[in-house]
Amino acid sequence: MGLEFLARVRRTALWVGLVAALVTATYAAPLLALGVALGAAWSLANLALLERLIVAITGAERSSLPSVRRAVQAVAGMLALFAAGGLLLRLLSPAALMAGFFIPYAVLVLKAAALLLLPSALWKRLTQDARLASLVVALLFGAAWFAVAPLRNASIAAPGHAAAAESAQATAGPAAPGAPAGEAHEAGHEKSEGPQKFPNLITVLHRAFPNAGWSRFLEHYEVILFALLVAFLIGLVARLATRNPQLVPSGLQNAVETLVEQLNDFITGILGERHAPRFVPFLGTLFLYIWAMNLFGLIPFMDSPTSNLNVTVALALTVFVYAQYVGLRGLGLVGYLDHLMGSPRNLTGWLLVPLMLPIHVLGELAKPISLSCRLFGNIFGEDMLLVAFVSLGITTLSFAHLPFGLPLQVPFLVLALLTSTLQALVFTVLSTIYILLMLPHHDHEPGHEAEEELLEHSPI
Amino acid sequence: MNFQAALALGLPLGIGIAAIGSGIGLGLIGQGAMQAIGRQPEATAKIQLAMIIVAALAEALTIYAFVTMFLLSGKIGG
Repeated sequence: MGLEFLARVRRTALWVGLVAALVTATYAAPLLALGVALGAAWSLANLALLERLIVAITGAERSSLPSVRRAVQAVAGMLALFAAGGLLLRLLSPAALMAGFFIPYAVLVLKAAALLLLPSALWKRLTQDARLASLVVALLFGAAWFAVAPLRNASIAAPGHAAAAESAQATAGPAAPGAPAGEAHEAGHEKSEGPQKFPNLITVLHRAFPNAGWSRFLEHYEVILFALLVAFLIGLVARLATRNPQLVPSGLQNAVETLVEQLNDFITGILGERHAPRFVPFLGTLFLYIWAMNLFGLIPFMDSPTSNLNVTVALALTVFVYAQYVGLRGLGLVGYLDHLMGSPRNLTGWLLVPLMLPIHVLGELAKPISLSCRLFGNIFGEDMLLVAFVSLGITTLSFAHLPFGLPLQVPFLVLALLTSTLQALVFTVLSTIYILLMLPHHDHEPGHEAEEELLEHSPI
Repeated sequence: MNFQAALALGLPLGIGIAAIGSGIGLGLIGQGAMQAIGRQPEATAKIQLAMIIVAALAEALTIYAFVTMFLLSGKIGG
């Protein structure tokens, strides 16, 4: 409690302010985001100065000289802060500044409420039973969902209209196939671009109920829902396999244990015994998640979330940020910059820095792009290949007016199984290597330098 | 020739050229890996790992051409 609590509040408020500023910059104007960030920073500085003043006045050695000096400094700082605040209010939007200003206070109030709530009997009763707890969480989610309903409707309205216009065009059908009906064509442009994929559960439902609010919602968040479903299924399998652990495993537990062991051995083989335990959970999860998402598209009426660029970019950015974090933590800021400059040790090295630094920075930035494009292109291409061969099979039998086609896609289903696994593996291996390159260099076991050399100088 | 025709001719050609390049690359990678495994069968796991990584790098180039094709193929119909 006490000062330590305030420090925690400051840290949390810093993060919340950062996230709020990023969200504002994404969904509103960047200037507003600057306002939110500066408001939060102002408020945090204000709180810090207040804390300093109070500690100096009421602390143990309040009458000593340093403490008086600190108090005077704090008062001067606050005066400067108020002047800066007046200037900010003139320059930026007052609403955004106020929103940022209240972030630390909101964090303070919520943290205090949590401190009161956590030891209470009610909380204990709630958290004892997993079912009751999940019910409460689901209820809270539902309440939040309905609370932001007006906001959501405003944001979905535009795509909703587009979908309605598109379906109207579809029902108009072959009567006017090529007619670019102005607005409708413009609205349905995003959909008509590129070839069609297999219909999945959500597109079928959306086709059946083009105007219902829930089907529009499903269509809007299609990819996210499938990704969540995959994550849920993985969680379910993990839970089922570990529910009743046996010393001598059998059945599902056996299969899952084999998989985990293989993954562990594989990643340990690349990273080495010393570093592997830190990274195996992340990288193993990455493999399982991507693998399951890739294979999910092969189930009828389901879709691979990884055949959407947004999902793969999100995954690749996660790896990118994590690798940079590992590098910064492991090497320190100086070591990290040294790494980016190509570790200059002699005069030639230092002379080459202006050349090496941009190359290394660009190389770092190219990694997430190549990771995401590779996964997306493979899975999307595999889908397109299947679509092409299914339609070929249908057209070959179209003279007979049969309700089915030749199953020409079957060999490519086997190929799809292979590429799905291989691409998940490649994504994981490359992520592992990117992390390995960021680890401190000196204590590598022999035998890994070759791969590292290879990747250090490869452009992709 | 308008630009749609140029795109319709160029995109499949581009994919094909990219595929030739990475086909040659993949062939060389496979050849090297197979020879290495034949020479030193006990190092199979390590060689396979390196082979898969390099194969992914080589194959990515075709995938880039493929993604570019899909990005641009929407403009043909316009």
